[in-house]
Amino acid sequence: MVAIRIERLELEERLTGKARTSSIKMMNMRTVRLSLAAILSIFVCAVARAELKWEQTAVELHPAATDKEAVGHFKYQNTGSKPVRFESVHTSCGCTAAQTQKDEVPPGEKGEITATFKIGDRTGTQVKTVTVNTDDPVNATTVLTLKAVIPQELEINPSFVFWGQGEAPKPKTIVVRAGKDFSVKQLKVTSSSPDFETKVAQTGKGQFKIDVQPHDTSRDMAATLTIQPEGSSKTFYAMARVTNVPAVQ
Amino acid sequence: MRQALILVVLAFLPGIGQALYFRDKVSWQSPVPASEMVTVAQARAWGRNAIWVDARPDVEFERDHVSGAVPLNEDRWNELLPRFLATWSPEKRVVVYCSSQSCNASREVARRLRHEAQLKNVFVLQGGWEEWLEEK
Repeated sequence: MVAIRIERLELEERLTGKARTSSIKMMNMRTVRLSLAAILSIFVCAVARAELKWEQTAVELHPAATDKEAVGHFKYQNTGSKPVRFESVHTSCGCTAAQTQKDEVPPGEKGEITATFKIGDRTGTQVKTVTVNTDDPVNATTVLTLKAVIPQELEINPSFVFWGQGEAPKPKTIVVRAGKDFSVKQLKVTSSSPDFETKVAQTGKGQFKIDVQPHDTSRDMAATLTIQPEGSSKTFYAMARVTNVPAVQ
Repeated sequence: MRQALILVVLAFLPGIGQALYFRDKVSWQSPVPASEMVTVAQARAWGRNAIWVDARPDVEFERDHVSGAVPLNEDRWNELLPRFLATWSPEKRVVVYCSSQSCNASREVARRLRHEAQLKNVFVLQGGWEEWLEEK
């Protein structure tokens, strides 16, 4: 009896042992399969990804003094194996317009985004950005920078002179300097109002002073001073005014 | 103590990394000191002692603007500046605004009014037109 019981226990133990071994084997197989799936998915993602490579994300432009606009070209290529779709393109300023050539870039294809910056009456260094959003999960947003260095032919300081009402009608001076890389030999200044008199004097190479004087300061009056450098197609302006507010003594 | 030191060093790492990475990058937003910024509520409280200047493009100004605002943008600076200066008065504060917090036009217009025209009391409206609409 005892021998039979021991034999059954041994058999049960053998069976349980076998089951345990097979369940461990199954777990190992599952882990291996999961790991393989993870590696495969990472590999697939890496291989079949969409990737827009930009030739440059910053462009510096040097427009001429007479240019009305400056255009920057941002070239790209889809180096991935999936198409890239442009979702939105925003500019940092109403003065800049950006255009994509297409909505979707197939794998391997090249293209460019053009950013047109309207110069208007802007001066000095202007930095504008274009924010490009794509469906590329890795690099969804790219910020393109357009830097335009606008040449300043004349520097007018100050561009506005004023007198309070009743203030002594003494002349006030506006200093004019030719900008870097510009040569100004003569300056012609005209006032839009006979109430203000102007006198121009050269103070150095490319440097002038304009003395502005109102005939009287008893009433509110204003004049636009047109400043025309000799040989230049560009006209510059300054303002003179007698305000209706009494002068602070 | 050692852990705290490690945490401090770790906290500084992204900042140092960013500073190094962006060291040659130019910010497209002109820096404006806090003293030259004004909130909608503050500017409103100035009432008639404030001149509102709209630095947005003409199209946006024509669509809608702060009541009594004068257009002055850099697209037509030479043409619009005399019009603005005709309404300007030395005892008044100038409040310049553009579309939103992220736009730069108001900062540029304010900078030119201060430096080129040498006007005092020129402020940039925080949040711009968007903020003004929200608090309307």
